[in-house]
Amino acid sequence: MTLLWDTRNLFIRALKKLTRNPILIFFSLFQPIIFLVLFTQLFHDFNLLPGFPPGVSYLQFAAAGILLQNAFSSALQSGTSIVDDLNSGFLQKMLVTQVARPAILLGRLLTDACRVTVQSIIILALAFALGFRIESGIPGFLLIIFIIAFFGFAWSGISLAIGMRTRSTETVFGIGFTLSFPLLFMSTALVPVSFMPTWMQDVSSVNPITYAVNAVRDLSLPGYFSLSAELTALGVIAGIAVVTMGATLYLFRKVVS
Amino acid sequence: MSTTDLITVDNLVEVYADGTKAVDGISFKVRDGEFFGFLGPNGAGKSTTIKILTTLLRKTSGTVTIAGYDLEKHPKEIRKLIGVQSQDTAVDPELTGRENMMLQGELQQMHGKVLGERVDHLLEVVGLKDAADKRAGRYSGGMKKRLDLACTLVHEPKVLFLDEPTTGLDPQSRNTMWDYMESLNEKQGITIFLTTQYLEEADRLCDRLCIVDNGKIVAEGSPVGLKQEIGADAITITMESSAGATKEATKVAAKQVLSTLPAVVNTIDAEDGLTIYAKNGGIFIPELIRAFDKANIRLVSINVSTPSLDDVFLKHTGKRIRAEELVKQPSRAGFGRR
Ligand SMILES: Nc1ncnc2c1ncn2[C@@H]1O[C@H](COP(=O)(O)OP(=O)(O)O)[C@@H](O)[C@H]1O
Ligand SMILES: [Mg+2]
Repeated sequence: MTLLWDTRNLFIRALKKLTRNPILIFFSLFQPIIFLVLFTQLFHDFNLLPGFPPGVSYLQFAAAGILLQNAFSSALQSGTSIVDDLNSGFLQKMLVTQVARPAILLGRLLTDACRVTVQSIIILALAFALGFRIESGIPGFLLIIFIIAFFGFAWSGISLAIGMRTRSTETVFGIGFTLSFPLLFMSTALVPVSFMPTWMQDVSSVNPITYAVNAVRDLSLPGYFSLSAELTALGVIAGIAVVTMGATLYLFRKVVS
Repeated sequence: MSTTDLITVDNLVEVYADGTKAVDGISFKVRDGEFFGFLGPNGAGKSTTIKILTTLLRKTSGTVTIAGYDLEKHPKEIRKLIGVQSQDTAVDPELTGRENMMLQGELQQMHGKVLGERVDHLLEVVGLKDAADKRAGRYSGGMKKRLDLACTLVHEPKVLFLDEPTTGLDPQSRNTMWDYMESLNEKQGITIFLTTQYLEEADRLCDRLCIVDNGKIVAEGSPVGLKQEIGADAITITMESSAGATKEATKVAAKQVLSTLPAVVNTIDAEDGLTIYAKNGGIFIPELIRAFDKANIRLVSINVSTPSLDDVFLKHTGKRIRAEELVKQPSRAGFGRR
């Protein structure tokens, strides 16, 4: 009960901070919007190549990848917030109160999931304006948002763990940046798997982004939906979430001793 | 434990991961309702001690109890009883003063109307009523400290830990803080554990204090008692070095002369001269001048004062708490084991 209440309050605190600095939301939207507008022009004729899903526009194909790229890089920045609280002493100030400890993390993670949701909706709206459609309708839309938010949630934990470990905003940004590009390009986010050289296909097949992207894409393309792919994606994301939460909790315990 | 001891600390040691022994076997007691202080220079181990006592940092060894609760076994119970203001002012700059306090209250498990009224009351007490709905990031240094203090009070703690609450403040803001602290202790009976580098602050506020240096307690008592312990007036002299003699040689010669004077209790090297502790300073001065004249040592200045806590510090450590050290330095925000 205390845990829920404390989580709610810390969630509200973080949301207030976010809405008072809305520039942060738009700052990280810059990149996906560039992708959405420029890539879809640049690679417009990809769909003529063999191996591309027939009858599908590049925008329709790449939107899922751009959404998950955004979720991934946003989530990998979430550790900066805990670095700020650690260095300003605000975390210590919370820790001498009776707050339920896990609420400090949960409040943070919920905020990040919320932020990714809002960003995803903005990206989806823009994509819609450009001609993107979700074939599975409203339920598909809701499931897409859920998958993206859950995916972001899982990776936020990694970022929080790095933040607590290194106490450096630069490191959190640096690692986020270094991880996000290679993983993005070695996944099915922007091209079908058949476009890749064999070694990259192998990487892609174990790349978590691939699973999440495929799940979102199957919901937006006509006739691709498969329950087992959706469940696999959710399973993979849940697996990542368990590992990252474990690491985060372990480090959090260590930090707060 | 006697019924009136609220905090007991026995042989507390803290060794940081890099090997720094920040607290080196200290023991002390704080009585219920007391205004207790740790006076010491930068790096003495004051913040480390507070972090341990407030459950933020795990001690290396020793035992601590607060209100009868063992620090290690009952941290939760202890957190209910304490309010903590850390050395780094930790208010959320993006929240307003009131939001900062409301959040603090919620985290202290207070809710609804009770909390709202408490927050309004405290904002008024610390003089932030008019600025309550401005973002704390726009507050002055003094206002932030006052907001931080108000935050520590929201759940009506029994003990307050204040880590250098006036360091870096201008004299006027400092005076205001002193008034609050005094009234919290006297009118509301809150036990206060204060750390400071300011002699006047410790002297004015504390019922009892420990002088700390290098992780050790070097003296303990009431400000008056500690000063009386010196049992003499403090006479600081500077001398002109006679031709051909170094400053050090002159000091040695002067000490030689002083050792022949029965009124001298103690002589300690000061920055550019000597500090002599002697009974009845007024009567002693002519005697001092005559003796130095005879020995051909030329005095440049003589300064007589009743002993201050600085003299107590000097006596026990051989150095002064230097004014330069009072410049605000961010403490290490670190805590926990790394
Ligand atoms: N996290 C830390 N790791 C290593 N050494 C530390 C740490 N924090 C403080 N110290 C060292 O411990 C000593 C005592 O520091 P501190 O308790 O902050 O003193 P004070 O508050 O009296 O200025 C200093 O030498 C300081 O440099
Ligand atoms: Mg300190």
